[in-house]
Formats: sequence, C-alpha cells, structure tokens
Amino acid sequence: MFSVSQDFAPPFKLISPFFILGSLFYLLASFSVFSFSPENLFILDTNVLALVHLYLLGFVMMIIFGAMAQLVPVVLEVGHSAVELFYAIWPLLGIGVILMVLGFLEYPALLPYGGTVVLISMMIFVMEIFATLRKVKKLNIVMSSILISNTFLFFGIIFGLIMALGYSGTIDVDIYALLSSHVALVIGGYITITLMGLSVVLLPMFGLSHGFSMRPLHISITLMSISIVLIVISSFVPYLFIEYIAYSLALASMLIYFYLAYTIFTTRARKEIDVYVLSLLYSYFSMIVSLIFGIAYLFLSNEVLLLVSGWLLFFGFFGFAITGHIYKIVPFLVWFERFSPLVGKEKVPMLADMLPKKSSHAQFVFCAIGVSVVAIAIFLQNDTLIKAGASFLVVGAMALLRNIFYMINYK
Amino acid sequence: MIYSKEELFLAISTVMDPEVGFNLVEMGLIYDAKCDDEGNVKVTMTLSTKACPMHQMIQQWVKESVEKMANIKEVVVEVVWEPVWNITMADDNVKKALGG
Repeated sequence: MFSVSQDFAPPFKLISPFFILGSLFYLLASFSVFSFSPENLFILDTNVLALVHLYLLGFVMMIIFGAMAQLVPVVLEVGHSAVELFYAIWPLLGIGVILMVLGFLEYPALLPYGGTVVLISMMIFVMEIFATLRKVKKLNIVMSSILISNTFLFFGIIFGLIMALGYSGTIDVDIYALLSSHVALVIGGYITITLMGLSVVLLPMFGLSHGFSMRPLHISITLMSISIVLIVISSFVPYLFIEYIAYSLALASMLIYFYLAYTIFTTRARKEIDVYVLSLLYSYFSMIVSLIFGIAYLFLSNEVLLLVSGWLLFFGFFGFAITGHIYKIVPFLVWFERFSPLVGKEKVPMLADMLPKKSSHAQFVFCAIGVSVVAIAIFLQNDTLIKAGASFLVVGAMALLRNIFYMINYK
Repeated sequence: MIYSKEELFLAISTVMDPEVGFNLVEMGLIYDAKCDDEGNVKVTMTLSTKACPMHQMIQQWVKESVEKMANIKEVVVEVVWEPVWNITMADDNVKKALGG
C-alpha cells in the first residue's frame, strides 16, 4: 500500500505566507527592473545584484520553500520531521532578503547581517528536509533529487555567506573566485535539480501523462551534479578546460531535461491549453533561448549575452515554471483546507472554478511580453525598451498578487 | 450478495476528482467492487498518479459513498498500482472532454 501523503500535509496558514510574500517580492523585483539602464547592465553592478537576490531569494526560493512544505510529504511518502519550523523560515528569509537588498543598494554593512539571516532560514529548511529524508527507507530518483539539491544548497549558502562577509570587508576573500561556485550551487544545484525532480511528479499529475521513460531524468541529474562539482573545483583550480567541460555537461543536462519535459508533454491525456500549460510552454521556450545565449557567451565572451541568458533563465524559465504551478498548487491547498471536509455534504467547487481565468491569462500575457521585451532590451542595450518591458512586467506582477489573494479568499 | 458490481459502481460514481472534474468511475479508476451476503464490500481502485496528494481523502470518499447504501456492514478500499491507470481506461466522454 502506498503511503498516505496528506496525513502529513501542513496547514494552509503555514504555507500561505510563502506564496503571498513570494508574489510581493516578485512585484518588487519587477519594479526594480526600472533601475536598469545600459550604463549599469553588467553582472556585478549593485542594482543587478540587488534584483537577482530580491528575485531569486524573495520570489523563487520563497515559493519553492512554501511548495516544498506541501510537496515533500507527497514526494517522500513520509511526514515532515518538524513542519513547525516552516513558521520560522518565511519571516527569516523575508527579513534576510530585505537586508541583503538594502546592503547591495545603499548600506554594504547590512549585507553580512542579511546573508546570515538568509543562511539561518535556509539552514533550517535544509536540516528539516535532511531530517525528513532520514525517515525514508529507500530513495527513488525523485527523492534522490531532493537529497542532491539540498546538499548543493547547503554548500551554496556557505559560499554565499563567505562572499557577503568579503563584500562588506569583514574578511578578505576573492569574491570573484567564489561567485561562480555560489551561482552554480544555488541555481544549477538547488533550483534546477529541484525543478527537474519535481517535474516528473507534477507535470504527469496535472497532465495525466503516462508511459514516458524516467531515464532522461537520471541522466540529466547526474550530468548536472557532475557539472556543479566541476564548477566548484574550477573556483580553486583555475584550469579553463575544467570550466568548459562543466558548462558543456550542464548544457547537455538541460537539453536532456528538455527532452524529458517534451516526452511528458506529448504523452499527456489532458490536452487543454490552460494558463498552467501556457506558462510551462513559455518557461521551456525561455530555457532553450537562454541556453542558446549561454552557448553564444561561451564562444564570444560578450557579457551582454550572459545577461540575456540569465534574464531568460531567471524570469523566463524559473519564473513561469513557478507562476504556472502557483495556479495549480494554491487552489488545491485552499480547496483541501476549505472544501474537502464538505465533500458528500454539499456541492463543492472544482479546482478549476477557483482560478480567476481572465486575470490569470492577463498575468501570463503581461509577464510574457514584459520578459520578452526586457530580454530584447538587454540585448540591444536600449533604455526605452527596458522601461517598456518593466511596465508590462509590473502589471503582470500586480495581476499575480491579485490572483493569489483571489484564490486564497475563494469561498 | 446484497449489491451487484453495477450498483456499487453507481454509488461510487458520486465521488468526483476535483482536479479533472469527472467522477472516479468514468475516469476508469475503480477496477472492481464486490459485496458479500453479509454486506461486506471490497472496492479495488487505483489513482491517476502515485503522488496524488488526495490519496487517502479519495479513498475515504469512496468508502463513505458505499457506506451510505442500506445494509452495508463494512467497506474496505484497496488501492492498487497494477494495472497502471492510463487514459484508455476512461469512458469515451472523459477522453473526448480531455482531448485524448
């Protein structure tokens, strides 16, 4: 008999702050795109660093952590080890992000404090996940992906804290040498491997896909893991060929993962193209374009290409994969809490009824236009286009926030 | 035998999957249902995915839908993973609506 996941499901009041706060940070990050101009568009500009941390920590990590509170019992088939710890994670992560952003923009002295608070919140998360994983008797590939990704996150935040201490002048370290490791561990090691692992659970669940092979997942996670380790090694052993092998493996991993997502998509029984599917299509399209720009950067070493690649990876691939799933996860959580006890007693809504259809489509359209226009603007170094794209993005982010409140308050 | 398989299926067909909006019988998720002379019922069913977060809740709804029938003594709902569910097991109206 399969384990019963919802016995361990956390209450909605524990998870909802992650989604509300995450979408608020998404809105703030969208506003901060207005601070971009062709003059400050380089990777280590403080405006760019502030945006990246606001977006990746405040939105991407916040939503992933909230979603994991719900999904870990489903995926691991055991209850959380100490689910109450999630009550501490979102406030700490939120405060840490704000301090870090202020540190990048105005007060560098705040950076190590922000970094430490973020470190604490993430350590709580990672340790809770590790403690939960210890209850699992036999790991399958999805469970292994959670173990691998959280191990990378553990090291990624250690690197991040050392960098924050160096940035504020507390200790003397070569920030540039650590940067690639920090980015690889958190973005490739945690976010990407988490998305890969969860894809084979969530995409087939919502699309009713069957009969696809799991082998591409094994290969893509293995290649990505080797790639991350090589990138970390290359931070300390500066041989260029190690970096090139690492990036080639990461590229191969992403392409194989794309093939996996494609096979899941083509074997789905549910052919409806709703906002969830639209978001995923845009997400994977962004991923492919991002990879193309990433490859071009490896050959041409033009930082603009890397910025476009990063923008599409973060706001396109990660952003739309997350917003798409918000439209599935939040209605489910609300339904589970509010309507499931009423089944058999009175008429209850279907999950699709709880989705604001027009507004969710508007969010998709505005964000997709915004992300695309900003990508073109970065490539062309065009200030007017950046502001135009940011305007679309802000409207889309407002719609996302509104949609989350609509779903949470659905009665 | 107090109830036939068809009668049990009819009772279970009141249980909806809130994600797809169809009942479990027309989804093809209910594999078998048997009732003996004492009113003991065994329902054999599956789910569209092993990672279904509503796993136990759906089992409970199936149990309650049968318990509402008269003279039922005990209901056991067993979830199996063989054969693996796929869309061909669903009714034609479901396949058509889903586009499969």
